[in-house]
Amino acid sequence: MFYREAGQFKSSYVADQELFPVKQDRLGIFLIIGFSFIVIPLIANDYWLQAILIPFLIFSLAALGLNLLTGYAGQLSLGTGGFMAVGAYSCYKLVTVFPETNVILLILLSGFISAGVGLIFGIPSLRIKGFYLAVATLAAQFFFEWLFGRVKWFYNYNDSGAIEVQVRKVFDIAVTGPVATTQARYMVVLCIVTVLALIAVNIVRGRIGRAWMAIRDMDIAAELIGIRPLTTKLIAFAISSYYAGVAGALYVFTYLGSAEVEVFDINISFEILFMIIIGGLGSISGAFFGAAFIVLIPILITNLPLILGIPINTATVEHFNFMILGALIVLFLIFEPHGLAKIWSILREKLRVWPFPY
Amino acid sequence: MSAENNTGDVLLSVDHISLAFGGVKALTDINFEIRKKEIFAIIGPNGAGKTSMLNVINGFYHPQDGEIHFKGLHRKQMRPHEAAVQGIARTFQNVALFKGMSTLNNIMAGRNLKMKANLFWQALYYGPARKEEMENRKFVEDIIDFLEIQAIRRTPVGKLPYGLQKRVELGRALAMEPELLLLDEPMAGMNIEEKQDMCRFILDINEQYGTTIVLIEHDMGVVMDLSERLIVLDYGRKIAEGNPDEIRGNQAVIDAYLGVAHTN
Repeated sequence: MFYREAGQFKSSYVADQELFPVKQDRLGIFLIIGFSFIVIPLIANDYWLQAILIPFLIFSLAALGLNLLTGYAGQLSLGTGGFMAVGAYSCYKLVTVFPETNVILLILLSGFISAGVGLIFGIPSLRIKGFYLAVATLAAQFFFEWLFGRVKWFYNYNDSGAIEVQVRKVFDIAVTGPVATTQARYMVVLCIVTVLALIAVNIVRGRIGRAWMAIRDMDIAAELIGIRPLTTKLIAFAISSYYAGVAGALYVFTYLGSAEVEVFDINISFEILFMIIIGGLGSISGAFFGAAFIVLIPILITNLPLILGIPINTATVEHFNFMILGALIVLFLIFEPHGLAKIWSILREKLRVWPFPY
Repeated sequence: MSAENNTGDVLLSVDHISLAFGGVKALTDINFEIRKKEIFAIIGPNGAGKTSMLNVINGFYHPQDGEIHFKGLHRKQMRPHEAAVQGIARTFQNVALFKGMSTLNNIMAGRNLKMKANLFWQALYYGPARKEEMENRKFVEDIIDFLEIQAIRRTPVGKLPYGLQKRVELGRALAMEPELLLLDEPMAGMNIEEKQDMCRFILDINEQYGTTIVLIEHDMGVVMDLSERLIVLDYGRKIAEGNPDEIRGNQAVIDAYLGVAHTN
């Protein structure tokens, strides 16, 4: 009733190829962006920003990167944690070398280093596919965990073996380090995630995105219409690793504050893979849905007994957490293998014809 | 253009091509020439090597022996995408569409080689990237009109019936603006109406765009009506070449199809 595109005629291809051709969608997305930029920083408290929104956004970004590679280009990767670590550590080194440079710029630059590394680890993808490729990317994961743990140069010969983020200011506002307010850090993350998400949408609806999906769906036919498999896959690896690298840099610089290489272990790679499977492979919004699911559900499960006033000790809740989350993932894979994004699009279809579904 | 005035130049010549997979000889000493703007058919019983021949032409298989000249140039061993760059497009016997993409995107993917905007502009979806997207969209819409598939523009091709999928695949090949179009059994599994449509499209493509077409088809009525010249393969060898009337009366062809004991 409210969600109809009837009467919204397109008279040019420009109008038809718009990002959100339906007026209601456009309005909705503007509302969401406006809400997260203006209302949330004003009303949300530190707990919400620090424990929920910042990690949600950072994981969304990492999931988005993996979704470009796995969901769109069809190249399964388990190296996300490794590429995030590359982003985080190169950002740390960049900040050490250029202390005066704008830290946001350095975060974005460190993504390029991660992209270069991703490019190298993407080379085997020409020859190997599917699970075998996943194992090959696993090499990236273990190699970087080892490298950043062992080579002291990467953490500036700290005794603790951890990288610690110093205070860095942008326009006289501290955005990283212990004195930065959660609001400032939230805004930095939000800006970067919004811009990168927009870029991702643009890439997947253009030539490169079609080439990726062509390689994913039928690589032989793709080659016969003139798509170069190696170049296309390598672009996917590079861009995906860029996103992972930026996410990794943000994870340390705006969320954790200090980190050892263990935060980028294999678990984080799997977690991000689960996010895109639950959110929906090959969908930009799916990355956000998936990240929200994986980040929010444990928090919800932990807090639910407190809110309801059920006396239960925290260790038990922790066990329940694993069980319920695991069960939910299994149920999802059974009932909606295409993920939350698919559920959303089904709902939208239903809404479109409601209340006369015939 | 009528069938008579196509004594054009040679577009593709195949000289003494032999292809073997280990001990299995798929093609043995094949020679033929395809002339510009003709509809050329390759027929033969199952397993005769027709599809292998197409795979050799578009660079998917590399023959052990023999040479191919395309547009007068000798072709070295090439990858399929290089054949695509040179202007050879292809449809498959079993539909090879990008199932997760819409009809529009499938055909747009066929325009891949014509699009040049770099990553920077594509990331912004602005300037050259947007302009070329719109130009190519217009081209693709012309193909959609031509093939009468306007209604399924936004449908994921995995959900389309078989006949329409074949049509979309033809559209994707056309989007490449090929000089040589290889059609591998475009009418397999179709009913009579769909076959008629497909025949009409093939003739129209040949006439309107001047595309040279190589056709593999088992429906003899279709082959004899559409093609101007054809060759017959059997067990990897060429057993006959000529226009439909010559082939129809050829004893070797009749033997191959009816199954006379082979003497080689």
